[in-house]
Amino acid sequence: MSVKFSEQDKIGYIEFDQPDSKVNILSMDTIQQLDGIVSGIPANKTIKALVIRSLKPNVFVAGADISEIEKIVEPDDGVKKAKAGQDILNKIEDLKIPTVALIDGVALGGGCELALACLYRVATFNPRVRIGLPEVNLGFVPGFGGTFRLPRLVGLSESLKMILSGKPVDSKKALRIGLVDRLLPNAGLDDHLDEFLKSEVLKRSKKKKYPRIKKTGIIGLLESNRWGHSVIFKKSLKSVLEKSKGFYPAPERAVDVVSKNYYMSRTEGLALEAETFGQLAVTEISKNLVHVFYLMEKYKKLSVDGAEGIEPRTVQRCGVLGAGIMGGGIAQLMAAKDIRVRLKDINYEAIAQGYKAASKVFEKAVKIRKLNAAQAHEKMAHITGTIDYSGFAQTDFVIEAVVEKMEVKQKVFKELGDVVAEDTILATNTSALSVSEMASVTKNPSRVIGFHFFNPVHRMPLVEVITAPQTSTETIVSALALVKRLGKTPIVVKDSSGFIVNRILLIYMAEAGRLLEEVGDMERIDKVATDFGLPMGPFLLSDEVGLDVGLKVMRILEDSFGDRFKPVELFDKLLEKGRLGKKSGKGFYTHGQRRDSNPEVDQILQGRGFSEIENHTMENRMIYLMVNEAARCLGEGIVDEPQAIDVGMIFGTGFPPFRGGLLKYADKVGIKHIIEQLQKFKKQYSSDRFEPCEYLIKIKEQGHGFYNKG
Amino acid sequence: MSRIAVIDGIRTPFVKYGTDFDSLSAQELGRICARELIERSAIDPSLLDEVIIGCVGQPAEAANIARVVALLAGIPQSIPAYTVHRNCASGIESAVQAVMKIRAGEGQLYFVGGTESMSNIPMYYPKKMQNIFVELSKAKTITAKLKALGKIRPKLLFNPVVGLMKGLSDPVCGLNMGQTAEVLAKEFGITRQEQDEFALLSHQRAIAAREILREEIVPVTPGPAYKTTVMDDNGPRENQTIKALAKLRPVFDRHAGTVTAGNASQITDGACMMVMGTEEKCQELGREPLGYVKAFAFAGVEPDRMGIGPAHAIPMVLKKAGLKLSDMQAVEINEAFAAQVLACLRCLESEDFTRKFGYEGFTGEIPRDILNVNGAAIALGHPVGTTGSRLILTMLKHMQRNDLKYGLVSLCIGGGQGAAVVLER
Repeated sequence: MSVKFSEQDKIGYIEFDQPDSKVNILSMDTIQQLDGIVSGIPANKTIKALVIRSLKPNVFVAGADISEIEKIVEPDDGVKKAKAGQDILNKIEDLKIPTVALIDGVALGGGCELALACLYRVATFNPRVRIGLPEVNLGFVPGFGGTFRLPRLVGLSESLKMILSGKPVDSKKALRIGLVDRLLPNAGLDDHLDEFLKSEVLKRSKKKKYPRIKKTGIIGLLESNRWGHSVIFKKSLKSVLEKSKGFYPAPERAVDVVSKNYYMSRTEGLALEAETFGQLAVTEISKNLVHVFYLMEKYKKLSVDGAEGIEPRTVQRCGVLGAGIMGGGIAQLMAAKDIRVRLKDINYEAIAQGYKAASKVFEKAVKIRKLNAAQAHEKMAHITGTIDYSGFAQTDFVIEAVVEKMEVKQKVFKELGDVVAEDTILATNTSALSVSEMASVTKNPSRVIGFHFFNPVHRMPLVEVITAPQTSTETIVSALALVKRLGKTPIVVKDSSGFIVNRILLIYMAEAGRLLEEVGDMERIDKVATDFGLPMGPFLLSDEVGLDVGLKVMRILEDSFGDRFKPVELFDKLLEKGRLGKKSGKGFYTHGQRRDSNPEVDQILQGRGFSEIENHTMENRMIYLMVNEAARCLGEGIVDEPQAIDVGMIFGTGFPPFRGGLLKYADKVGIKHIIEQLQKFKKQYSSDRFEPCEYLIKIKEQGHGFYNKG
Repeated sequence: MSRIAVIDGIRTPFVKYGTDFDSLSAQELGRICARELIERSAIDPSLLDEVIIGCVGQPAEAANIARVVALLAGIPQSIPAYTVHRNCASGIESAVQAVMKIRAGEGQLYFVGGTESMSNIPMYYPKKMQNIFVELSKAKTITAKLKALGKIRPKLLFNPVVGLMKGLSDPVCGLNMGQTAEVLAKEFGITRQEQDEFALLSHQRAIAAREILREEIVPVTPGPAYKTTVMDDNGPRENQTIKALAKLRPVFDRHAGTVTAGNASQITDGACMMVMGTEEKCQELGREPLGYVKAFAFAGVEPDRMGIGPAHAIPMVLKKAGLKLSDMQAVEINEAFAAQVLACLRCLESEDFTRKFGYEGFTGEIPRDILNVNGAAIALGHPVGTTGSRLILTMLKHMQRNDLKYGLVSLCIGGGQGAAVVLER
């Protein structure tokens, strides 16, 4: 049983403790158990109050059962499921005796909604306390009364912030906004709870249910009348649309639900919520977001064969070679996680740049109050610069981020081999070069691994962990543990030119270049990409990354894989002019006060005959080539499953999560269709780059997609 | 008994007040220096027994600055730290504390040093103004508030107490440090010319020693701008001439004085850190130490003649060490003021002085070619809490380079004291 009931000293206790699980989940089965208990309470005349708590550490109730939601295919089924939860929470709310939710850990989604149905909520000072409604992240709205009760409890503006961002609050914030009534210390928690019951709950001090805290100031004024409400709803909707760009309907619908059910009776309000939940839960977007959620959960904990029993190396000190954008970013990330960094470059000017890059990120963190000034200063102090290898003997992990030239990388690895301890892990942040070739010059190549971050390091959640044939399992295990500690998501990739992410991304960039030479309208191509859901178009992306950087990688890929990665002339001409992108002020665009397309691009293209290509053809050429390249990677065994590619593209390049990932999208479009299109393009443009690869043909012949292998 | 070693040490560049290190607090300077020593020396900080750091102008926001420096530098939280203050000898005091603790059997490995940001010693409101602020914060009604505000006078607002100047003044005799130097210059009849020539030599030697001083300096890139990296001390002037020095006006006695900004030490920011331990600990760590502390001594003198301190501390320390002044192959006497160093040299050479204080056998002449050979505070600057540490470090590096057996460092101390340490290799 996941839920138990007991009585002691006239207090009833409902205790969650799901067997064989670290967390408590509100599955339909659990809800039924809960219903059985709650239904019996009105008849119980001895208990004077009811406490709902969890027996698991750091968890109250983690939410509804996502696998059950995933299986919903009919909106009515969703409505029914929501209603089942709503009904039992209503029963709790309607109990004549006071109810208290004791939250000592995560109370998310259904867990939060369960607590909202109680008369009182108390949390602990436990730093792991997180209370929130993350449903919109999965493409639907809360379904167990969250949209109805939370706005009434904490006010419109705070509740909309929580519901629309899906971001949970910690216990301090929960107290501040009136989401919980009191914070209790963990030491002697039961005694503190008793005291709270006696002094507050049992006295029946006639606490008004909503709201707990009277709002003052502008927010108070806005929340006091319907005109003010409409201002809040309008503002919320505007910011939601800005963020979602119309691709994610759930937050938008959530605003709609709250703006209506805020004025409805409970029955009506909950019915509207359930209906909306049902409609959203069956959408493809929601299914895709759930898919991505599972991918993330899986890959965050990624392990490799043979990892059992291997203790990962604890990294206390990390060496970083090269204080450029990547090196500085890596140093900052390490320092933020309290790893001491020795940052080496060839001169102090370069190191100053690294300090500056790291310090900027910390300054931003202070500005948005993620850190206070003292914390930021302390973390920044974890980074020290050097122009020799002093201090490297004490490092546990070294990442090189020097210039992308094999000779330089090999030189650096050779030098490192002489200065670091025998078991220090040597990692390269190369974006395309061979890890094995670098490893070959060190005394002990088994400790060499690729550790590929994405720019900007502090924001991009992916690390490609690249294993060469000689990389030891110990090294891989330690690298994966470090990725986890850095709060990033890893994919494990075999050593091959461009690995996964850059290889697939650059086939798209190369094609974007060809399209530009064909149609001459850069902004249109960028728009095709953003309309597809990519965070920015190929040319703006190039400006962000730097054309020199992108082109270098493209050449490496061209050397390895041939003409399909051949960059168009335009790229070289722009590079010659020094139009690298944002860092040089001009690239495909000019980056001044406002962004404009750079007229020089048109000048270079002048004299070419342009042809008209439809938007969806452009999209297909770019996206299907990516699918084809991804299939090649799978065929070559560079990654072991399509999930890795989807994780890589979503977290490394911002491939739209609502599409579920590149290969999930390909499956939806249909492999057969993609092959036909590629063949059509091949004929039309008489170019082998569109030749569907063997792997793609193979899965078509086997009659399945990248996933769902029959 | 086991000797007590200075195992390793490093310092930041010494940088003139209000220049490159203006944005760095004393704790930040100390942190940079301490961390770099840990990185370069490769000594595991968890082996330390304690951290002892000297600082004169302790920042209000970094009470017990030694602990702040230790934590920011990544010395484990379990290792305690305390700050020492013996004015200009605070850096020496930190080393002496380590010596005494080791001798007392308290520990074997100590992190010592000094840090000072004279650029960041605050100015504050006079007491009268503070009282008004207190009254204001207690005032409940508007009238009470207005009443308190009405007491503010421009004189109170715009005449802050300059902490730096207060720190450089003696509260007992009422003289500032420069004035005490004037006292000695007049007492010993030291001419302006002598002082200026002494100052010039300091600059010339410091410029010549630029390369070798880099051995003990960690380059510093001051945040939050991270614009430049400071590699060298910025006090020494390449083109210093006697003519230029002669042009300067006396600061402390405008009419009859001889002490100028040119023949006095510079007001400076900087930090210096060292690791000290027993000889056994050195062997255990497999380290060749820079050298050993043979003996130390402190002397008390008249506050208004504070600069004479070394003339007493030196014979006292030699007596403790059982050595003669002529055994010393190199000597550093901190150049708080040229006049004050010259006065000390005269005393040490004087038979009357020797007899009067019973220093027979421990005084004598210090040849200029072994005194402050790499320049000193007139050129390099005098970050008060740090200088003592720098003297030991610079001397040990000098002894190492030239394979010397004995070296002597000494300085005068505001408030009327002298400190001296005999180092050996």
